[in-house]
Amino acid sequence: MIESAIELQAVTKSFGRTEVLRGVTFRVDRGKTFAFLGRNASGKTTTIRMLLGLLKRDDGSIRVLGLDPSQEPIELRRRVGYLAEDQTMYGWMQVGEILRFVAPFYPTWDHDLALKYVRDFELPIATNIKHLSKGQNVRLGLVLALAHRPELVILDDPALGLDPIMRKQFNRDLITHLQGEGRTVFYSSHLLYEVEPVADEVAILDQGRIVRQADTETLRRDVKQLILGREAFEAIRGQLTVLDVRSDGDKLVVAVERAESAIERLGREGVEFRVVDLNLDEIFEAYVVGRREGGAVDVAKPQAEFQPLT
Amino acid sequence: MFLRIEKGSAVPISRQIAEQIATLCASGSLRPGERLPSVRELARELAVNQNTILRVYERLVGEGLLEMRHGQGTFVAARAKRGQLAVHRKRLVDELRQIARQAVGLGLTTDELHELLAEAAGGVEQSLSAAANEEPTS
Repeated sequence: MIESAIELQAVTKSFGRTEVLRGVTFRVDRGKTFAFLGRNASGKTTTIRMLLGLLKRDDGSIRVLGLDPSQEPIELRRRVGYLAEDQTMYGWMQVGEILRFVAPFYPTWDHDLALKYVRDFELPIATNIKHLSKGQNVRLGLVLALAHRPELVILDDPALGLDPIMRKQFNRDLITHLQGEGRTVFYSSHLLYEVEPVADEVAILDQGRIVRQADTETLRRDVKQLILGREAFEAIRGQLTVLDVRSDGDKLVVAVERAESAIERLGREGVEFRVVDLNLDEIFEAYVVGRREGGAVDVAKPQAEFQPLT
Repeated sequence: MFLRIEKGSAVPISRQIAEQIATLCASGSLRPGERLPSVRELARELAVNQNTILRVYERLVGEGLLEMRHGQGTFVAARAKRGQLAVHRKRLVDELRQIARQAVGLGLTTDELHELLAEAAGGVEQSLSAAANEEPTS
């Protein structure tokens, strides 16, 4: 059996009375690029900080490269590359200085590799960090996260604050320097259309729970929108995994999981329906703001005029 | 080989790439025996996951459009079965269905739709043969 790079089992965490994580379970296979998706304040950064042993969990189990982060944080940090959200570095240091400053923390630091990344990323070696652009800052953070040749790289919203050109460049860096070298990458983001071309797999975190984990192609095949009559929907509703229901005139617009079997069933019932492919943003939306129960909201009319289904 | 990826599209990225490669082969922009960029090169160029590119190449090899030569790379197959490609055909049928739906919505009859389609196909044939005449080399 191949040991996974990251494995969480029923992890919970509260700050005071606020439950931030309510039983988070997922696993990341080695060598995969894994995108961790969620709205702001859904618990992404909390989870990431726990992966690194920077926060303690209340319950459940966490294994990162086979280690428990709360027991062996130092050993873990040596084997993991980490780029924090809005990473701040000593602004008065020059790029070359911070490389020499960080190197002794890592027994496996490869200074030639660090200098190669600096060249690849076109970073000015003798410039003070405070004078770097946002994009250069992220790239410097990547150099620091990668130069000790970590097996696993954890990036907390690395694309935050980058312009579209820099984001594409960042995706290229990720593909060339991380995927190309067979490393496991775990990164959080809220920019779904940026994630799709790059990630092997995604997990969607919502209100402290993982609502779905799948590879992107499976997710697209599995989650679709059906447009069908109310009666047809009511007849097979019990057999569908509904994520969102809206009404559109006399039709319903329904986002479902396991679309293939739903379509097959509708075909057998002989009802008229239409299938709409969704993009990753729409799929994400169906999971995190979808209305599953309690009747449909009319897309055309304001909510006050809404007539409940009977 | 110029490919264009539309992010945020409802068409999955792997299908966008597969369809565009198939189109380039069908139109003759990619010729039989021509070498495609390596998985690594194309992944970098498009900023797309290497596994995605690899899966696309493998699928197109399976469909007989491309062939992988061990240690040399991926090439357009010598006798690519044009127009037989499942990926291509399915998309075409979907698009025709959508066009038919629009036509019915606009109040066109089946005959009128046939006529418009024949006219469009005629135009395409003309421009293809004109292009073939003024293109002596690859």
